[in-house]
Amino acid sequence: MKWTSRLRCVIVGLAFIALFSAFSFRLVYLQLVKHDEYAGLAAEKHVHKQIIRAQRGEILDANNEVLAHNVPVETIVADASHVNNAGAIVDLLGHELKLSPGELTDKLHSDRRYIVIKRDVAEAVAASLRDKLRAQNLRGIYFEHDAARIYPNGSMLCHVIGFSDFEHRGVDGAEASMEEYLRGQDGYRYVEHNRAGQEIVLYRGQERAARDGYQVHLTVDLHLQSIVEKEIDAAVREYSPRKATIILMRPQTGEVLAMATRPRFDLNKRSDARPEQMKNRAIADMMEPGSTFKIVAAAAVLNEHKLGLGSTVFCENGLWNFGGTALHDHRAFTDLSVKDILVKSSNIGAAKLALTVGEQKFYEYIRRFGFGERTGIELPGEIGGLLRSPQSWSKISITRLPMGHEIGVTPLQMTMAMSVIANGGKLVMPRIIKSISTADGKTISTLSPVVVRQVISPQTARQIGDALRGVVSDRGTAAAAAVPGFVIAGKTGTAQKVDPGGGYEKGKYVVSFSGYLPADRPEFVGLVVLDDAQTKPELNYGGLVAGPIFSRIAEQAARYLDLQPQLEIRKALPVRRVALSNASIH
Amino acid sequence: MSRSRRKNWNVVDAASLARWLVLTVFLALTGLSYVYLTLQLYHLGERKKALENELASLRTQSDLAAGQIAALTSRVALERRVKEGYLQLVPISERNIVRLTLPEHRPDDERIQPVKNERAGK
Repeated sequence: MKWTSRLRCVIVGLAFIALFSAFSFRLVYLQLVKHDEYAGLAAEKHVHKQIIRAQRGEILDANNEVLAHNVPVETIVADASHVNNAGAIVDLLGHELKLSPGELTDKLHSDRRYIVIKRDVAEAVAASLRDKLRAQNLRGIYFEHDAARIYPNGSMLCHVIGFSDFEHRGVDGAEASMEEYLRGQDGYRYVEHNRAGQEIVLYRGQERAARDGYQVHLTVDLHLQSIVEKEIDAAVREYSPRKATIILMRPQTGEVLAMATRPRFDLNKRSDARPEQMKNRAIADMMEPGSTFKIVAAAAVLNEHKLGLGSTVFCENGLWNFGGTALHDHRAFTDLSVKDILVKSSNIGAAKLALTVGEQKFYEYIRRFGFGERTGIELPGEIGGLLRSPQSWSKISITRLPMGHEIGVTPLQMTMAMSVIANGGKLVMPRIIKSISTADGKTISTLSPVVVRQVISPQTARQIGDALRGVVSDRGTAAAAAVPGFVIAGKTGTAQKVDPGGGYEKGKYVVSFSGYLPADRPEFVGLVVLDDAQTKPELNYGGLVAGPIFSRIAEQAARYLDLQPQLEIRKALPVRRVALSNASIH
Repeated sequence: MSRSRRKNWNVVDAASLARWLVLTVFLALTGLSYVYLTLQLYHLGERKKALENELASLRTQSDLAAGQIAALTSRVALERRVKEGYLQLVPISERNIVRLTLPEHRPDDERIQPVKNERAGK
């Protein structure tokens, strides 16, 4: 082949065409096929997604008093690769933030780019520190806006409110159960920075505003809570019980008006709290209820029309051998009416009432009163108590259950059972959440009362209520629970403590009183439980320990709720006189 | 002579010149406007950022104030102040509480009755 000039031109031309065609194909490939991928990679270099933090919603009481809110704070972080004078920074941070210099030095000498120096630093401290860093030209320390959860009432209502962790996730109480509403929704913004690290607002991309968390309103009235807290503290001082619980509830709606438990902890210093202090014993602890449980046996027998309120039962003169085991009464009763079985709190009488309805039916009534299952209150960690089915009962179980033995109930379940009597036989689901609203006060959800079931007929409830009025009288076991000016109904309970090793602990009792006021149109139901109260053995009864506490709380609550007194105002019987005159306490 | 001078003259096409001038001025103005508006956008962006920062700072101050108010007016704080004697609250004694019992209303008596309270002021 002859290399003519024409041929050479053609070859060079073709080479150029091939070269530029390759460039063109590559260009098309990069610009069209791989556009999105490379554009994304480029954006990653310059653009980043900035998270706009939503503020956690507040928790308020029924009257809008603040129970939990947020305070702006700063989290101080370091980038070890930017630190220019570690020694000076350690000195300054150690002094300003009260941190150990050794620990700070270790942190700053690592090669990490994100080191949390301290969380929840007050705004004023952070501002002062920022100025000092700038003045000394120290670099590598950064400030991140954050919010600290503050509980203005400290330990008051601690078990109900609960708390959140450092990432603002609810851990316990309403903080955990209402997490979905309190949390809010973070927003975001795509931003681009210049070489100095400043945002170029012109190139701001897609953004979505944060939605702050909703406000959660509890049913608890802080004034009533304050009354309850004061009285439970006084009871703890006087009786030094191992545990104590008081609950106030509105029976018609199931709204919990106050709930206090001891031991307790300070929500603002929860790192110091021990696990036993953090347990909400109103819903997460079981007890044998003792004689307060007799209302179930009486309700069953009346509702089944097996006996009437005035029907008499022979109470075996205080000692009855059943199933090879002796059952005692605290006094030698002969014939007692069904009403007096409650008023005098006869164990033998209650056992015979349960026998009258039979094991299966009695078990059915226990379940209908809500025992053996969770109440459904909006608080985490609730237990259902312990109730065995009749198939696993012993021969004497039918005589022990009516007096509140061989069953584990939570204080809230016991309050619910008393609410059934106060509420015309209806079991209403307990509520701790009243409503949910936006930050500007617009209500988005109100929780309505939920009637779980009609446990007993209104007539039976009225009959039991009549008997329970007798309990809080000079004839009954809880004269010291009386409230001047009001007719109240209630039932005492004194249960020997269960020994974890088997049997019962000698001389240790769980004393309780559960009642409602006013008896004919109840405004609230209350329960007072003291576990292992330290007092004289002859005074360690529900009517003498828990009864007066209930009386004081109910009197103050009645004043606060502006309830019209029904009776001529008179002083309650002094406890000492009641103790001497009333030998039939149980 | 006159013919040759006439020959050396360049004829200026006024319409064409005007057209190019307008186009050039338009393009220059467009360019300047673009630059001006771009700078304005940067400037407004900076202003927007400054306002956002100011708003965030105000919100922080507001939240801090709200936190202080909540702490100072909390039930526990107020009860502590009462206990310390800062708020001198004197409980009303039973002797000073008077309950007014409303007189029974008779259907035939529509007159307005003055309220009588014999225990008041004692």
